[in-house]
Parts: sequence; structure tokens; C-alpha cells
Amino acid sequence: MSLRLDDSVVGNPRERALAATFLLWNRRSHYYLGLFLLFFCWLFVLTGLLLNHPRWQFAQFWPTRVQTTSEHQIVIRPMTTEGESAREAMRQSGLSGEIQWPPTQAASGPLKFQVSRPGLVADVTVDLASGHAVVQRSRLNVWGVMNQLHTFTGAPASDTRNERDWLLTTVWALSMDAVALGLIWMVISSYVMWCRLPTKRRGGIVALMLGFATCAAFVAGLRWLG
Amino acid sequence: MRRFYLITRELHLYLGLFLSPFILVFAASVLYLVHGLAHRPAPRSTDPARRVDNLALPPDLAAMQGRPRVDALRSVLDRLDVHGEVDFVRHIAKEHRLIVPVRLPGRDAIVDLDYEQRSATVTSKRQSFGDALIYLHKMPGPHNADVRGNSLLVRAWRIVADATAYLLMFLTVSGIYLWVALKAERRVGFALIAAGTVSFFGLVYVIAA
Repeated sequence: MSLRLDDSVVGNPRERALAATFLLWNRRSHYYLGLFLLFFCWLFVLTGLLLNHPRWQFAQFWPTRVQTTSEHQIVIRPMTTEGESAREAMRQSGLSGEIQWPPTQAASGPLKFQVSRPGLVADVTVDLASGHAVVQRSRLNVWGVMNQLHTFTGAPASDTRNERDWLLTTVWALSMDAVALGLIWMVISSYVMWCRLPTKRRGGIVALMLGFATCAAFVAGLRWLG
Repeated sequence: MRRFYLITRELHLYLGLFLSPFILVFAASVLYLVHGLAHRPAPRSTDPARRVDNLALPPDLAAMQGRPRVDALRSVLDRLDVHGEVDFVRHIAKEHRLIVPVRLPGRDAIVDLDYEQRSATVTSKRQSFGDALIYLHKMPGPHNADVRGNSLLVRAWRIVADATAYLLMFLTVSGIYLWVALKAERRVGFALIAAGTVSFFGLVYVIAA
């Protein structure tokens, strides 16, 4: 089967030039993207393995966490919302990160919430009346940082109490999007490059069909089983 | 050297093509995960609940814990025609009940088992395609490690997910090797590696430091 981009099919010189430019930049984008996203890919590949093998001893991070507790006297302006109070308490306690609210908050008790960012989990308790804040920090090792970077997207969609509230979480989430879209583009561009290699078509079709069949067995086939 | 280059190029091509559907699945599910596009529960309604009585249950089911209990439940689930990975088992001792959520990529089932009455109520729900992708992306994952992989599906998927990671690692390394051979692209390539390195470590530093 001939492809539209094949030199023999495209007769118009302008179309030919356009096709050649497209093919050149298709090829370049494949390895330019790959080189730019190299460390991002390595991070997600490595941490994917770590997440799937929680028993690997060398990558344990929770048992080796370093816990510290600090107390702070803070000033909270009256009439602010819980969120504003939490942000103010964090600022005065030297904390930054994503706020995680517990499912319920006692009506008359201290304000309690958790602040998290890769490598740090801090439980914060603030007595709004007295301005007394207690911060219990758990610092994780480098494996913990990497592990959390893999999953650091802010609140899960099912969590109605929490929402993404730290600018850097949004930046990291956008980076994840960029890596995902970059990989999708690299797959598409690889298909285009492969189609331009007539001698590799048969072997390529076999490899591609094997991949799709295996993948479909999990994604689609097992859905029908249910 | 030329032979090594050619072999690497062939492997990069064919392994990349084989792996491409898996890369698409993992990459597409990232978009669902990051933006919460597959809200649960899925819009499709729950299938009618069904009740099964006079079940033959393994002895000491209530006293069992962890993986042995999940393995013992497998024969019960087969009799109930419920297939998939047991997420966890919740024991409500006062009511003599075991609540067993069982998952396939596109379907949730909850088996409410009364081991005194030897009866079970099964409710199930189809999930969206996006939810199926998310499920596969997260499996086997770090949670409930002692019971995870209790179904053939997740055991097989663990192998596939690991293979995807190792092969992707190979594709990046072989890709670098193939790029190095392209002398005309070295300068731009080095600039992009540098830009990517600075972006990556800069971002990680401000987020985690």
C-alpha cells in the first residue's frame, strides 16, 4: 500500500517540499522530545517500578523517616476562612505545600490539617483562639521524594473536601501532562518514521500487532470478562 | 561497531513498536489521573444485586487473615461467578460478615458474605474506559502488598508493567546511542539534554527542597 507521503506519489513540488519538511521535523521531534524528557522519563519509569515493588528493601522510606515537632506562636486575623487561617499558619510556621483537610473538622476544637509535598508530610494543629500551633514534620529520604513525585497531583478527583491549592502542585501536574503528551507524540512520530521504511514494514506490523493484542487483552478483553 | 549499531537500531524499532500500545495506555491514563477525568462512580448504573444461598464455605474463614483468607475466598468467588482482583477484605465480626470488593479493569463487584447464614449478596457496576485505564496504571501498586496479585490478571499485569518499565529504559538508552551517531544533531541534542536536565532538577528542587 502506498502512503500519501511517499516521494513517488507526491508529484507536486510544493507538496513534496511540505512533505519533506514534515518528515524532517517529525524525525527531529522524536529525538528532540526524547532528549528533553529524558530525566522525567527515567524518574517515572524508576518510581513506577518502586511503586509496584513496595517490598524492595533498598527503597524503603517510611520506616526511616525523620520526625520533628515544633511549636509556634502565630497571629491569625479574625474573620478569616479555614483555608486562609491554614495558609497564614503555614506562612508563619515556615511551611509550604499542598493542604490536605481531614474528612471532618471538630466544630469547637483546634484547626487540624496536613501539609504535604514530596519529601515532607507535616501534621499541623492550630488553636485559633490562642494562636498556638504545633507542627509535626516527617521528612523522607530521597526514595520517598522520588516516590511522591510520581503521585504528586494534589487531591484525588474523588476527594470533594480537598482541591489542588499549591501553585507548584499545578506546575508539577502540568509537567506530568507534558511528559504524557510528549510520549504520545513520540509514539505517533515513530509510526510515521517506521512507515517510511519499506523493508521494516512486515516485521514492524508483527511487533505492533503483538503489542496491541497483548495490551487489548488487558484493557478491553478483561473488561468484557466482567 | 557497525553491527552493534544496526542491532541496536533494529531493537529500538521493533521493541518500540511492540511497546507503543502500553506507552499509550500509561500516557493516556496520566491525563485521566492528573485531571480527575474519570470520576468515580462511573455514570453507568449498578447491575441488579443478586443473592446466593447455601454456599459451601471454607472452614475457619472468619479466623483467617491476609493472603490465606483471600486465597480461601477464591473458590467462593468462582462459585459466585465473580472474577478479578480482591482489593481487600473487611471483616464485620459482630454481624458475621465479610465485605469483599473485587475488581476487573472495567468492573467493580462487591461481595457481601454472611458466613453464619452461608449466603452472599453480589452487587456489581461497570466502570468507564478511563477508569479501566486508571486501574491498570495503578496496579499492582504499593498498597495492600500482602494480598496484591491474588488474581491471574494482576499477576500477569505486574509482569507486563515491569516489562514496560525495563523496555522503556532500554529505549531511552538505545535512543541516546542512536542519537550520538547522528553527528549533525549533536549540538541541538546536547542543548536539549541540558535544558531538560535544568528543567527537571530545577523543578524537583523547588518542589521538594
